[in-house]
Parts: sequence; C-alpha cells; structure tokens
Amino acid sequence: MRIKINQTEYDIHVDSDTPLLWVLRDHLNLTGTKYGCGIGTCGSCTVLVDGNPVRSCITPVSNFDGKEIITIEGLSPDNSHPVQQAWETLQVPQCGYCQSGQILSAIALLNKKIDPSDSDIDQAMSGVICRCGTYPRIRKAIKQAAASLRLIGETP
Amino acid sequence: MKPFSPDRRKFLKLSAGVTGASLVLGINWSCSNDANIDHTSGTDVFIPNAWLRIDTKGSVTVLVAESEMGQGPFTLLPMMVAEELEVDWHQVRVERAPLTPVYGYQMTGGSSSIRKGWETLRQAGAITKEILRQAAALSWHVPVSECRAEQGQIRHIPSDKTLTYAQLVPQAVGVQIPETALLKEPEEFHIIGTPAPRLDTPEKINGKARFGIDIKLPGMVYATITHCPVFGGKPKNIDAEKTRQIKGVLDVFSIDEGVVVLAKDTWTAFKGKAALQIDWDFGDKQSLSSDSIIKTLEALHIDETTEIVKQGTPDNLLDEKSIKSRYTLPFQAHVTLEPMNCTASYQDGKLRIWAPTQSPSEAYDAARAATQSKITRATNKIKSKLFDSVDDSIEINTTLLGGGFGRRLEQDFVSEAAQIAQRIEKPVQLTWTREEDIQHDFYQPLTLHEMRGTLDARGLPVAWHHTIKGTNAKPEGANILPYDIPHIRVDLIDIGKILPVGYWRSVQHAYNAFAVEHFFDELAHAGNHDPLELRLQLMSKAARLKKTLEVAADKAGWRHNSDLFGVASHAGFGSYVSEIVQLKEQGNRLKIAKITCVLDCGIVINPDIAKAQMEGSIVFGLTAALKSSIKIKDGQVQQSNYHNYPILSMAETPPIEVFIIDSNENPEGIGEPGVPPLAPAIANALFAATGKPVTDLPVPFDSQGIKVT
Ligand code: FES
Ligand code: FES
Repeated sequence: MRIKINQTEYDIHVDSDTPLLWVLRDHLNLTGTKYGCGIGTCGSCTVLVDGNPVRSCITPVSNFDGKEIITIEGLSPDNSHPVQQAWETLQVPQCGYCQSGQILSAIALLNKKIDPSDSDIDQAMSGVICRCGTYPRIRKAIKQAAASLRLIGETP
Repeated sequence: MKPFSPDRRKFLKLSAGVTGASLVLGINWSCSNDANIDHTSGTDVFIPNAWLRIDTKGSVTVLVAESEMGQGPFTLLPMMVAEELEVDWHQVRVERAPLTPVYGYQMTGGSSSIRKGWETLRQAGAITKEILRQAAALSWHVPVSECRAEQGQIRHIPSDKTLTYAQLVPQAVGVQIPETALLKEPEEFHIIGTPAPRLDTPEKINGKARFGIDIKLPGMVYATITHCPVFGGKPKNIDAEKTRQIKGVLDVFSIDEGVVVLAKDTWTAFKGKAALQIDWDFGDKQSLSSDSIIKTLEALHIDETTEIVKQGTPDNLLDEKSIKSRYTLPFQAHVTLEPMNCTASYQDGKLRIWAPTQSPSEAYDAARAATQSKITRATNKIKSKLFDSVDDSIEINTTLLGGGFGRRLEQDFVSEAAQIAQRIEKPVQLTWTREEDIQHDFYQPLTLHEMRGTLDARGLPVAWHHTIKGTNAKPEGANILPYDIPHIRVDLIDIGKILPVGYWRSVQHAYNAFAVEHFFDELAHAGNHDPLELRLQLMSKAARLKKTLEVAADKAGWRHNSDLFGVASHAGFGSYVSEIVQLKEQGNRLKIAKITCVLDCGIVINPDIAKAQMEGSIVFGLTAALKSSIKIKDGQVQQSNYHNYPILSMAETPPIEVFIIDSNENPEGIGEPGVPPLAPAIANALFAATGKPVTDLPVPFDSQGIKVT
C-alpha cells in the first residue's frame, strides 16, 4: 500500500485494518500525532485529509489509499504557519500533548470559515479535549489566526 | 551512576559533599574551577555549576531538575538564572537535568518547583555573573568594580569596552568560584515578572516535542498490559491462544502486575490484549463499591481519638439546634492525556529507562526494586550511601510529560517496563490503553464531610465542627480556617488506602476547601449575611487572602445578596486564591456566565504562565464539579474511557478572567492553588440561586447547562 503524507509517498507493509495512527507513530516515526483514547473521543490523533479533520485512531490505513494526509509535522518547516504563529503568540500549550489535534482541528475550521464565530469554534473544537485546560487560549488563537489569514487573503 | 560524560563528571566534582537534603543551603560553589571546560562538543562550553552552561557561540543552557508537565518549570527556572546572569531571554536554552546527586532528590509535585528553585537558581546565575566579571577584569587588567554585566556581556564602565559572555568563556576557566553572590532586589528585576515566552512552546506546536510515548530505540518492540479489573486480583488461568495467532504478536507472559502482550507495534499489542481470555482470581476486594465505602464511613463515629483540632469549647456550643450539612465527594481520576507508558532497555546488565515521570528519583527506586535481587539491592544501597552515588546499572531519562496532575508521582508503569525489559533483554515500549489508565489510577479519595455550626444572636458563626471521613483522607485545608470563629473542632476518620488512592491536583485541599467554603455559605445564609461580606468581616487574621477576595469582588462586580454569584477563597501551596462564579439563567438551566479569579502567589515569576495555571486549574476544577466521577462497583472502576469519564470541552468552558496581586513576598506555588476554590464557588452560586446546598459532586449538568431541580 502507498500513502501520501505531508507530500511524501510511503510504502506501507501492515495489516490493512491497522489504524493510521499506529502506522504514523510506530512505523513512520511521525510521533506528533498522539494516542489519547483510541475510540474517537479525544481528538489527539486528528490528521487532515483534503482539509478535513479525521480521527486517525479509528480509521484503518487502507481508507487513505490515494488520499493526501497532512499531519502536524507537515505544516511548516519553521513554525511559520499562521495558526502555529497564533499558538506561539498566545502561548497556548501547557503539557502540549493535545496540541497537534487542536492545531489541525483549528486549521480544518479555518479552511471552511474564514471568520469563525464563537459557536463555530465551539462546534469545531469540542471534540478535541485538553486536560490542561488551554481552551480559553485556543479560542483566542483561532480568532487571531483567522484575522491574520484574512489580512493576507489566504486559507490555511 | 551513569557513565558520566565529561561535563557530568564535572558536575559531580563540583558537588562533592552535596546531598539532597542540603541542596539549597549546602551547595559547594567554591571548588577550584580548573576543569570546568568541555572541549568535546567542538565548541568550548563553560560549566560553572550543575545548573548552567555557557558556550562560545553565546547560548546559555539552563539545566532544570524538575519535570515539565505543563506547569512551566522549563521556563520559570531558567528565568531565575537569566535574571541574575544578565542575559537576554532569546539566548537561553533549557535542558532536562540528569538524575545525579548534585540536584538532590528529584520530584516535581506539591507546586514546589518555584519555591525549591528560587534561591539555588538565582545563586547559580549570580555566581556565574561574578566569575564572568572577574574574567573580564583580569583580561583588561582593571578592577572588578569597574566591570558591569548587562545583556550577555561585561562592560568596562570607564572605557566602554565590552566582551560578550561567549568571548569570556576561555578566560572564565581558572577564576576562583565565589561562595555566594549578591542577589538583586525585586525592583531591579527585568526578566522575572515579565511574560517571557515559554521555552517549550516551539516544539509543542510542530510535533517535535518528545513525550515518553514518543521515544524510539533501535530494535524496540511494543508492549501493553492487562491488569486485573478488580483491585488486587491475580490471573488464575491465561488462555492466550487467540492472541498468539495474531500476526505480529511476539509473546504473552505475566509479571507481578498483570499480563503482558508483546508485539511488533502498539496496535498489534492492543489487538492481542483484546483477544486474551483470562480467568481471574479477583481476591478480597470484589465486593468493594463506592456505596459500600460510603456506608462504612457513615457508620464510623467521632471520639477523642479522631479529634485533630480543638479551639475553645466547641462541644458546649454544638447541639441539636446547630446547622448541619453533609457533603459526599467521589473518587476522581487524573486522565493525563498521555496515557501511562514507559520505555526501557536491559542490555549487558544495564537497565535504561525513559519515563514521563514526576519523580526520576522514585522511578530509579522502582526500577531497582523491580529488577534486582534483594542482596544486590541491599549492597548497592550501602555502596550508594558510602560513596554518595547512585548505582550505575540503572539509568533514568526523564522525558516531557503529557500531563501529570500527581498521577506520575506513582511509578507503577516504570516498574512494569523494567520487569519486561529485563525479561526480554530487548528495548521495549510499554503503553497502557486508555481503559487501563482510567481503571488503574491512583484516585483522588472519596470523602464524606459532616458539618455542624452554631450562630450567635447576630447571625455570626461562633462554633464550627467539621468531620472529614475518607479513604486516606488528610486534614490540610480544613485544619486552619481563615475565619475568626472562636470555637472550632475538626475530626478525621480515615479508613486508609483500601484501594489505590494518590495525589490529584491540589490533593486534600480540593475536598477540604469544598466542605469549608460551602458550609461557610450555609452559615452565612442562615445568619442572613451576604457570604462575601461575612468572609471579609471574619478575615482579620488572613490579610493576603482577604485582599484577593476584595479584588475579586471588585473585578467580578459582586452584588450584595445576589442570587447569581458564588465565591470561595482558599490558601494553599503558599498562595492565596479567590474565585467568583457568576451564573445566568437560560431556559430551565443555569449556565456559568463568567469566572473571576484573583491570585496572590508572592513575586510572580511569569504572569502569563501564572494566568495559564489559573485557567487550567479552573477547567480542571470544572470537570470535577460538573462532569466526571469514578464509581466503584464489584471491586472495579465502572468508567473506562472519555465517553463515560468526560472532560470539560471547549463549548463548556466559560470566560475566565484572572488577576494577579502585586507582591514582593517570596514566590509560591501556582500549579495547584487555583483548583480548590472552584467547586465551592460553583456550589455557593447554585446555593444562592436555588436555596439548596450542593451535597454531592458532580452537580447535574448537560450540554444545556446545570440542571436545577
Ligand atoms: S486517540 Fe483518536 S480520538 Fe482519541
Ligand atoms: S496542553 Fe495538556 S492536554 Fe492540552
């Protein structure tokens, strides 16, 4: 099986029912995508497929045949992605473990809504939990990233 | 002891005679400075002491002997060094200190990092600054008094010549290390007190941060473990046939704590675990339940032996007419987002551990206990005492922690990984499933609080009686009241650790503050007093706490006798916090409109991190007040994952405003003190709104808000 992650093609030799999460983590050493619950309830394992958020812990790798996957490692070489920048300015992470899922979910939201309201943010982000309680800053960072994206007239 | 790299050997040399207990007072800074340069890395590195390295490229690395689990020690402690050393923040790097005796006993907990580091790390910076001043003076042949340290360089004031710290590295070697140096006054601070960006942020937004679960070793295999669902049970019979048939499963075996599946990747190990058929001997805890524990606690009564505080003559004033209440608070789990895990390798008699642990020192002990024979352990212990060293057949590497909250003060996962590695003699990563993580935690104890209080003719509390009952219950947070109540009695009835209980963010302060602060409102209400005004009236001996309350009232716009506000205050971990919860009505629900928090933590090292800790503590407290609880039935935890042990979500998080009191007192804890006031502040707001006290947590809540019955 061949899958494309962050613009790179990989040959994969695993059982086709293996969730993408474990292919990323244990076979491709892309450990930025995290295991939190394994049942789709925490969002730590979120990746982007065609700009949409997907829970990689419950999605078999075979579903990604021919698709383009973006993981946290694929955003920028230097933390320059506008969402990463907002995260840095607002000092969002505490332990940091949930943040890959938070950042990718935020990007998926901004792909759809360039000026998300509070309830858009609630809806898009409520499946991604943060035990450290960084939600107030995530909300601010999304709004800040949205503002800077509108300024440069781009989608993330 | 580790095979010391050259620089580490120098740490040890510098620390001769230093043991953990004397860490702060007994640091021997004044050893000869001849060997403190490391040429091995290509750049010369000046190592003035165990906390600091300066290289010839201009970067300053601070070694931090605390675990970074989100609370900020990887930034806060370097800020203390940078302040005294006079370097720009962008020059500063951080590195996790190794487990060596110079740092003393390593344990991050009890909101202690700032307090432990305050003297030592500033001295480490200040002494190094003195060395650099002297080095500059020597190379210019001028008096030291004419040399000033600023922004990573020494300036000769009369001539305006400068040398950067990087340039001074070669000269600094050989300068006699002074024993102490003068520390700055708070008015002179220009790094401490600023929102300096966290040093760990960049790697936490691009996937590069390495948590325990991200460690990869060459040739590593993956393991997971099944513990008996009933506490203390053991496998009777293991049928692993189906597991072994799964492609990629390498082995199945038992260790003391449970049944291990070894596989080529974590997913295969999880699949193998699910296919196991284990016949358990459930042992003697299988009839234990939350309900049976509550019944047991209810049946226990106070006597002379349970009394832990007596002030005045409370017994004469407490009678049938006293106001009474009772609160029951459930077990709680930590659910750090990174589940328990540990990586270990055992090769040629050497055990190496990579652990997301709050205590490398205890991880070391756990690994040793799990792998060495009693005799080896005993001789090694004597050796390490005699030579002030650690047994170097075990090495502990501490990774970043994906949350701690007290869970990672326990070293069960380290002990398990050590046993597995020793058995298979291959590098192995043990990862628990989330289900194991929730069902085999060390829980916040279940507690029962029986309250009695008597009012005088003016409606002021004159007598107070609090009986704390629980599984490993402790009195802190209830034994010293901030209020002027003349007659006080506190009793403690503890049935011990009948199941695994441990340290949960703010520990006993969480449950005791709930009881004290909620019952205070019941008394205020009964005496027709506004709960905030009554607190202020009775806080004559609690000036700092009172101040936080006054500021909170002002910032939140507290309204006299309003039925939409609730307040609670609590002192703990050296700090003082008041929180005000404001409700709003929405249909047949109450929603939290806003939470206002005021913190006095003495000198604030970094206001942005302190605020983040208050926000995080409030969200942590909200989860326990509104959403989660652990229930035991048939000796087993009934919850298993985030669907039935839910964590507060983005949509459920109300606006939170944090204010910090200006202070020149010594800096205090920030990781935990924001938790205790939250639940009682909510309970007090609900009490004001409904007239009914909150007797159990969590309160009924759904996506629409708090249900009012
Ligand atoms: S690990 Fe996939 S949603 Fe939790
Ligand atoms: S930052 Fe720790 S779980 Fe979100």
